[in-house]
Amino acid sequence: MINPAHVPERDEAHDLTSTKILTRRRLGAHGVPHAPVLVRRRRTRGFVQVASSVTAERLHLNTFGHAYLGLGAVLIAVLFYLALAAQVTQSSYQITQLQDQQRQLIAEQDQLRYQEVTLQAPAQVQQQAAQSGMQRMPPSKLVPAQPVAINLEAPIGAPPTDQTPLWERALAAIVNKLGVTHDAMAATH
Amino acid sequence: METGLRFGAPQRGHRSLPGRWRVLALVLVAALLAGLVWTRLAYWQVVRHVDLAASAQAQYREVVELPALRGGIFDRNLKQLVVNTTVYSAFVSPDQVPDNERARVAVALATVLGADAPKVNQILASGKKFAYIARRFSKDKADRLRSMLLPGVGLEQEQQRAYLPGIAGSSLAANLLGFVNYDSQGQYGVEAYYQKQLAGTPGFISSYRDLANREIVLGSHTHQDPVNGSDLVLSLDSNIQYTAEQALADGVKKANAESGSVLIMDPATGAIIAWADYPSYNANDFIHTDPSHFLDNISSSVYEPGSVMKVVTLSGAINAGAITPNMVINDPGFVYVGGYRIYDWDRRNHGNITYTYVLEHSLNVGAMKAMQAEGHANFYNYLQAFGLTKASGIDVAAEDTIPPPLAAQMADSQYATSAFGQGMDVNLIQMLAAINVVANGGKYAQPHVVERIGNNLNPVLLQPQRQVISPATALQMTQMMEQVVQHGSGWMSRVRGFELDQAGKTGTSQIPVNGKYTLDVWSSYVGFLPALHPKFTMIVVMRKPHYPGYQQDWTLNDGYITAAPVWQKIAQQIVVDWRITPDGRG
Repeated sequence: MINPAHVPERDEAHDLTSTKILTRRRLGAHGVPHAPVLVRRRRTRGFVQVASSVTAERLHLNTFGHAYLGLGAVLIAVLFYLALAAQVTQSSYQITQLQDQQRQLIAEQDQLRYQEVTLQAPAQVQQQAAQSGMQRMPPSKLVPAQPVAINLEAPIGAPPTDQTPLWERALAAIVNKLGVTHDAMAATH
Repeated sequence: METGLRFGAPQRGHRSLPGRWRVLALVLVAALLAGLVWTRLAYWQVVRHVDLAASAQAQYREVVELPALRGGIFDRNLKQLVVNTTVYSAFVSPDQVPDNERARVAVALATVLGADAPKVNQILASGKKFAYIARRFSKDKADRLRSMLLPGVGLEQEQQRAYLPGIAGSSLAANLLGFVNYDSQGQYGVEAYYQKQLAGTPGFISSYRDLANREIVLGSHTHQDPVNGSDLVLSLDSNIQYTAEQALADGVKKANAESGSVLIMDPATGAIIAWADYPSYNANDFIHTDPSHFLDNISSSVYEPGSVMKVVTLSGAINAGAITPNMVINDPGFVYVGGYRIYDWDRRNHGNITYTYVLEHSLNVGAMKAMQAEGHANFYNYLQAFGLTKASGIDVAAEDTIPPPLAAQMADSQYATSAFGQGMDVNLIQMLAAINVVANGGKYAQPHVVERIGNNLNPVLLQPQRQVISPATALQMTQMMEQVVQHGSGWMSRVRGFELDQAGKTGTSQIPVNGKYTLDVWSSYVGFLPALHPKFTMIVVMRKPHYPGYQQDWTLNDGYITAAPVWQKIAQQIVVDWRITPDGRG
């Protein structure tokens, strides 16, 4: 048995139990019977619901009316979708056209670039100049020439006089005749 | 009763065994059938998985390639040498051409594209789904065709390279640049060598298609942009290139030669300034060109350089201390080497002469004596150092070389003939780079064509140049080569104003056929100008010249008559274009 004197007085202020529990405890285990839980209904209704109910009220629509209304809404949605699809198709058609136009413009740009480059090509410049009656000055006239010590008109100088001793030449002639040799590469100059 | 029952009762032992077998057999058959189905399933789902997945994907997934733009090619002055252009191909879908429109379509295609009308009619009547009528024509024709609104006729855009016009119907620097075929692959020359850099990386768009083959716009897309090819900046000068091509064509025609080549190099860097071949071809019309013209004589064929080689031989000998320019030797007009008697070109006894005289008058005996003075090993080492034993490594496709045998395998006679440039094969790039060593103060400059790849310098330009001969030797050889122009065989190359300030050497060598030398020759001239501060080194080679009157005097086919005037003509133009002034000596 527990002595009630030893039972510590409850400090309700510091008790962790909630107020709901405390109330229940105060009222005893069987206290007041639970009130039925009220399911809180959503007060705000959706726009469609409001609109349809208002329309239905005003138009006094029956079930078929509702069906027609729904069908109309679906039709509007389908038309909206179709309009959008048509717009997308048209845009895509325009994009294709523009892409084609861009390709043609790039092709034209390429051609113009080639024309520009070709016009600067040395062959073209020379041809144009010739057609205009221009003549190229011999480059030698443009170079400041200095008097030179050599006779530029003279061909290759004559080889020096043969200073080989006569006996050596005679020996070479004999060797050339008797030697077991082959001629090779005489033309190299 | 019992007995009857016993006898009448089913004998379980006898009847259960076949029943079990029957069940077992049924199970076995079922298992077999199931196994067959599973095997087939496994075959389709496991073995053929990759193929089927790919073919399924091919039906609903579409990958559109986004082609990369091929890089442009520019010359050293940033003038564009190659341009990307858009061309068109016309195709027909004969099954979509109404019968009553066939005649109109055929006439229109024949008129605009120059197609054969009966052939077009034949295609239109074939009922095929697709046929090309003409490939790669200009935008003007495409516009005309488009405006005619022909049923069943379509146009396809394609990219094509366009090359600048050169001389006589060829395109400029065709043999150097190469061309790009219809599969966008570079062929020959720079286009082939730099294919990877020029082509770039194509991108793609991968999207899904519905049953009607329409793109599902909101489906998952994979998109990768193409990476365009890099532009190349060459060391070529288009004006000099054109001048070289013109002068070469005139020279080849005048000498009645089979072909000719000109190669010009920047002495300090090894950069190629001009690369001309004659005859050449039109790269814009490669499809109708004889493929034999695509091979470039400069890099893809070898020749025996002849006396031009004496510059290398004498430079090596001087550098080795074996000879000096003024050393006197005796030249009786021939010399015995390895059982062969080898003559000078004129077969004359020249007596006591200096090595300068040897070079001036291009005497074989002197060259052989210089080689013997320095020794075989030294001579071979110098061949290697001058870059004549291996490919030059120039950045142009299909360089061809025939390396000489190993030093130990070369006979005495081969050493002797190599000393004056016969019996050994080199290409023009190797030979010019070797002579350029003298012009570049003794250093070997790596020959190259491309200066920049996109925004990056060609790595070759950053490599140090190797010293082959000393600057003093190079100077001595330069002075000897100046004498060739002033007093020797190079007199036809004299450029007005630079007569005392240019260096050169002629070369003529017989062409061997089936191991025997013929009377046909390669004649060449190599030189640089101004001698002490050269701005360019140039080599001109003529193949099989038949100069008027050569039957009476075969020396008319020599380099000094056929190649040197071409050299002079080009050099004179470079002097003007680049405003080169003489050093002012003399």
